[in-house]
Amino acid sequence: MLLNALVEQQVVFFGGKGGVGKTTCSSAFALAASQRGKRVLLVSTDPAHSTSDIFQKRIGTSERELQPRLTALEIDGEEEAARYIADVKADIQKMFSPGVISQANRQIEMAAASPGLVEVALLDKMIDLIVDRSGTSDLIVFDTAPTGHTLQLLRMPDAISAWILALVRHRRALLEIDRGVEQSRAEAAAADPVLAALERRHERLTELRRIVTDRSRTSFVLVAIPERLVIEETARAAEQLGDTGISVGGLIVNRVLPDGLEGEFYRSRKAQELVYLEEIGRRFSRLARVVVQQLPRDVCGLESLSHVSAQLVG
Amino acid sequence: MNWREQLAVYRQHFADVMIGATLGRYEHELRQQTAELNDLFLLLCFMEATGLPNPATLYLLEVYPYVLDQFHQWHRRMGIDHSPLGSLPCC
Repeated sequence: MLLNALVEQQVVFFGGKGGVGKTTCSSAFALAASQRGKRVLLVSTDPAHSTSDIFQKRIGTSERELQPRLTALEIDGEEEAARYIADVKADIQKMFSPGVISQANRQIEMAAASPGLVEVALLDKMIDLIVDRSGTSDLIVFDTAPTGHTLQLLRMPDAISAWILALVRHRRALLEIDRGVEQSRAEAAAADPVLAALERRHERLTELRRIVTDRSRTSFVLVAIPERLVIEETARAAEQLGDTGISVGGLIVNRVLPDGLEGEFYRSRKAQELVYLEEIGRRFSRLARVVVQQLPRDVCGLESLSHVSAQLVG
Repeated sequence: MNWREQLAVYRQHFADVMIGATLGRYEHELRQQTAELNDLFLLLCFMEATGLPNPATLYLLEVYPYVLDQFHQWHRRMGIDHSPLGSLPCC
């Protein structure tokens, strides 16, 4: 079974345990989709970026065209957080007196150092790409960080949404009591900049959620190799992804030994691999599976990448 | 001004007096409720300053300048002369 159907989607995430070949598979898939006429944006969210290495081109934090219709981007959480904070500071500069600004800036700087902010900044950049700029590319492929990190990232919109919703509710209750007699409920709400800011955030998060939980638009592809620990982690990831509402669109079994070789070492490895492959078939029977064979050399550069592409999309 | 307009003016005055009388009676209660809601709102905004994690911190940054004044009113109401949060030195 090949990943052909996923080429038609809007967002495809690639995830799995560290070192199983997420970057290789996502790059190969993005390349294949671009060769089929889609405008593809390949985004790496793994702090240890390796997309640059695989394409043998420096990519970095601003979009770079690698091939016709294929652009790539490596997001850096720290940098996104710093940019976001600079934007907020610039925005309030226009609206408040110097006294308020200097106080607000101090609070903003303190908040900027709080844990978890980098992840939220990363998420915000993803919202930027998925929600706000969906028109400029047909397909966005995410090469994600190892499983745990990514699952946490994908669960975040719910937590933040719930929080903001609570704030919105309190703010509305407050305005309801505090508004003057001459002001209607709608007028009071429309005039409140705090409510407006909160609701704008909430809308973007809701829209993100709408897109990534829509199985006709977004899929998560798990990447695994036939090894004990990897199988266990992949099974857990599949289960937890179910909780986030994101549909799992397939399982790539990467680095499977080629057939028909000789030698004691090879036969022993192959026999063990067969056991694991069988187990994978049994435990992930509901997922579409794709086997990618191990190549005689490292996957690096366009030519070797296209060998993997051919095994993913036919 | 004919008598119709005159009547409308009187009617408006009467309404204002009624509203004023009603509000006056409940004003204290309303103020108290507003203050309580405000405190809760501030806590949700500045939670990480008290050491509790707040998932929405990044999205609250743009709201801070608007609520600084309310924060000032809160610590005065609590009988604290100067800001109790080092990160929020409003006075």
